[in-house]
Amino acid sequence: MKKPLIILAALLTAPMLVSATTPISGTVASKCIVTTDTDGVYGNPSATKLSTATTDGGVLPIIRYDIITASAYNAKVTTPISFSSSPSLGSETVTWTGSTVANQMSDAGMSVFNTNKVVYNNTSEFPLTIAGSVWFDVSSVATYGYNKAFPAGSYSAVVTAECIAQ
Amino acid sequence: MRAFIILLLVLNGGYASAHQWTPTYPKLKPSHVTGVYTTKMELFNSRKEIRYYSVGVFDKDWNKVPFVTSPSILRISYLDKRLVDIYLHKKHKNKAHYICSRSKILSSVRDPSIIASRICSKIK
Repeated sequence: MKKPLIILAALLTAPMLVSATTPISGTVASKCIVTTDTDGVYGNPSATKLSTATTDGGVLPIIRYDIITASAYNAKVTTPISFSSSPSLGSETVTWTGSTVANQMSDAGMSVFNTNKVVYNNTSEFPLTIAGSVWFDVSSVATYGYNKAFPAGSYSAVVTAECIAQ
Repeated sequence: MRAFIILLLVLNGGYASAHQWTPTYPKLKPSHVTGVYTTKMELFNSRKEIRYYSVGVFDKDWNKVPFVTSPSILRISYLDKRLVDIYLHKKHKNKAHYICSRSKILSSVRDPSIIASRICSKIK
């Protein structure tokens, strides 16, 4: 007498269990995501120099690129050649140097980004031939005049990170 | 050492901010106005410090191509998504090569090193 009742109860509850499932759907589209991982800070190791190098007391700006599809984008990073804000610098010239390197990567093969890097003016261009995430370290150094001290005040400069579809 | 790496990831994870501009390869199609072509782009802002983005259309040599969008400077909140309609006259349709969005930095921002981001999609 008990056995049929148990079977009946099991049959009745089974559809309720099935209806509790909830589907989740999503689409992964080809895209490039530019992420500002770390904002840089200029260190002032000597009166004439501002530098983002850690050894100079600065912080390197780090930019992360996430690439969904391989060989769909080029990354372009442009280091500054002027201050976006600074105290008055008079007529003295500021000499700028900068470089960009792929430092951390989600795929070891991405080291080829540095091999295939093209540098022109103050821009480094990397063909993003492997999908995944890559972190670029950007260094920027500004030297003022001929052994002239930078005037006291705050200095800002802009690094431009671009992702251009191929 | 492991605790240090986790701390680093947590700190970086909370700080990271991103800019997305999709699709990668938009297609121009005729709009409801004769002789005008259109495409729809999507902008996602997860850069906390950025509120404004500009949109631009360029040819293959990076010369500006006339286009219409409303407005041309987009105000977009943190973690907000915006659909952007781009309209091009048919005489510029074959000239247009890239559609780009670029973060705009307010002059009041005084961070020591600021990162401007630009993403360009290629018209197919």
